[in-house]
Amino acid sequence: MAKARALDRRRKSVRNIRKITRTMELIATARFKKAMDRSVAARDYTKHLVKILENIASVGAEVVHPLLEIRPTHKTAVLVLTGNRGLCGGYNSNVVRQAVALLGQWKSEQVPAHVSASGKRGISALRFRGVDLAEKYTSFEDKPEFAAVAPIGKAYLEAYAAGTIDRLDVVYTKFHSIAKQVAITETLLPLAPPNASVGGQASQRASDEYDFYPSAESILEEILPASFLSRLFKCFLDAAVSEQVARMVAMKAATENAGGLIKSLSRQYNRARQSQITGEIMEILGGVEALKK
Amino acid sequence: MADTKQSGTVRCVIVTPEQTSLDTQARSVTLPLFDGQRGVGRGHSPFIGRLGAGEVRIVGEQGAASDAVRRLFVEGGFVEVGHDTVTVITQRAIPAEKLDAPAARAELEKLAGSRAAGDEAIDARLKAEQAARALVRTATRGG
Repeated sequence: MAKARALDRRRKSVRNIRKITRTMELIATARFKKAMDRSVAARDYTKHLVKILENIASVGAEVVHPLLEIRPTHKTAVLVLTGNRGLCGGYNSNVVRQAVALLGQWKSEQVPAHVSASGKRGISALRFRGVDLAEKYTSFEDKPEFAAVAPIGKAYLEAYAAGTIDRLDVVYTKFHSIAKQVAITETLLPLAPPNASVGGQASQRASDEYDFYPSAESILEEILPASFLSRLFKCFLDAAVSEQVARMVAMKAATENAGGLIKSLSRQYNRARQSQITGEIMEILGGVEALKK
Repeated sequence: MADTKQSGTVRCVIVTPEQTSLDTQARSVTLPLFDGQRGVGRGHSPFIGRLGAGEVRIVGEQGAASDAVRRLFVEGGFVEVGHDTVTVITQRAIPAEKLDAPAARAELEKLAGSRAAGDEAIDARLKAEQAARALVRTATRGG
């Protein structure tokens, strides 16, 4: 009896776990939809900034700005975006692996790196690997707010302007589609030149003939930091969306696994029970036979 | 699309990094440019301008009374004016009725009491003070 009962107990606990993982999957799905909506809503801002930048480029204003100039990297900054919680497959470890590889590379080039991390998982994983973290953020969950990201971005801009950092890399999980999220390293500072995509569109844009107040240069001066902040914000949004997708997928797999496990445990349990019954019948029959004699 | 053809109205869109917070048709829009206010109606010549801190006033919104005014506080950013659209691109847009006047005034007083040394810090303080003043102005004007 002992074996059958133990199997039954295990089956019960697996069932409970399946309930939990299924709930987590549903929660992650709901959060993913919300995060996705936010991410889509945030695209307009970037689109308009790019449009203005293209207009500035099309009037032939020279795009020169300290944020765009590529200078030799003597000091670098790395920002690692992970989640606060686990149970989301390889989401956190992929980002941490990417970050550690990047830090190793800077170390081999003997460039000191100012490392910051967001998310408890990333913070503890990096600390375990002996990385000194300058800043730790744990307040970003599935709904990063621009008002919370902006101060971080402004601090980087100031450090860049003051020359305390020459480069900023953000390691995060980029969201391509629901089936594809990749941990990547993106260089946010120096900013990538905004007019890379112009060229062919310039002639069509020129027909708009915008005036600039006060001047194209002054707008450019203001718009580049804004564009940097929105890119940084996009990284946070992407990381949040990817985390929910990763958790959704991981929990779906866990639920399916639990189903399989329950099936095989049930089979084992039934077999154990049946053999126990058979054994008992044999015993009774044996007793009857013995009494007959 | 028929809306944009309607004579005399201009489409006003306010975009923040988080979302498009407003998309409406209005008779005219008053913008806080970096050096003062500017009103824009339909058919204004296209321009791109820098915004300072201040209030955006949207007059005669569709579906409201013709002299109804919707006021929002914006802190910096840009405006892109086309023939029939006004797009405000800003990091922060707060409806005036949601502003907290006493808190804004306290912030301004705190700034007025602070000191700054060095050109950049003085610049930054001046900017912050202007923004705070504009915030108080928008908050206390009442709608």
